[in-house]
Amino acid sequence: MPTQYLTEPMKVGTVVKILNSGYGRAKIAEYRGPLGPNGARVYRVLVQKKPRRVYIEVREDQLEVMDKA
Amino acid sequence: MPSAAFTRWQNDRTPRLNEVEAHCAAVLALAPPNPAFFDESLRGFVLHLSAHFQGFCRDLYTECSQIWISAIPAGFQATAQAQFSAHLALENGNPDHNNIKRDFNRFGFLLNLQAHAMGPQQVTDLGHLNIWRNKAAHQGTRPLPGGVPAALSLPIAQSWRASCDGLADVLDVIMRGELLRIMGVMPW
Repeated sequence: MPTQYLTEPMKVGTVVKILNSGYGRAKIAEYRGPLGPNGARVYRVLVQKKPRRVYIEVREDQLEVMDKA
Repeated sequence: MPSAAFTRWQNDRTPRLNEVEAHCAAVLALAPPNPAFFDESLRGFVLHLSAHFQGFCRDLYTECSQIWISAIPAGFQATAQAQFSAHLALENGNPDHNNIKRDFNRFGFLLNLQAHAMGPQQVTDLGHLNIWRNKAAHQGTRPLPGGVPAALSLPIAQSWRASCDGLADVLDVIMRGELLRIMGVMPW
């Protein structure tokens, strides 16, 4: 059964924390689409800026919003 | 049922490519003919086709990795996601056979898109598409390797597109089978 959402996808620039991870504040860089299991939303998240940008792709249910974009 | 990535290939990427292909056909039919505009249009078609196939491959890779990751304990998931996201060949590289294999082999098998009957021709077409994609994107002046069409034509671009279509279908089926083998349940 596809995952149903009542809200719009998070906006680019939203500051988030990735639950169950050692990453600190991170930023939504891109909404990748409903590519998770059962159509879960997946985001590309910027977790490090320097010395080089590091992104990881995570599901929406793994994210806690800290600051809206 | 296909993956979300393949569904998007069929329902979103294919109609967009249809529009570009129809534009090329319309420019070809112009009277009087405009060969320079037609050449530019074909080069645009090649760029769009390569980009959409790259997008499909990245979407499918993401979908497969997220499904795989959802089966492991929550405490391990961000670590696994970081590993699956790191140094992807398809992030910056063309969607050629080597780059596709390099990324999808992370699932613990050796991907071979040439294993089915149409595979060798489709993989050859994909290679030629990407060579022309680079020539168009970088205004390349170097001679093309042997076997690569010396000039673009609409039938050539259409045959490359048919090969991308076939490869997208095959990759979707292969990954469904691999995830079923790994996880013991149908992934989509």
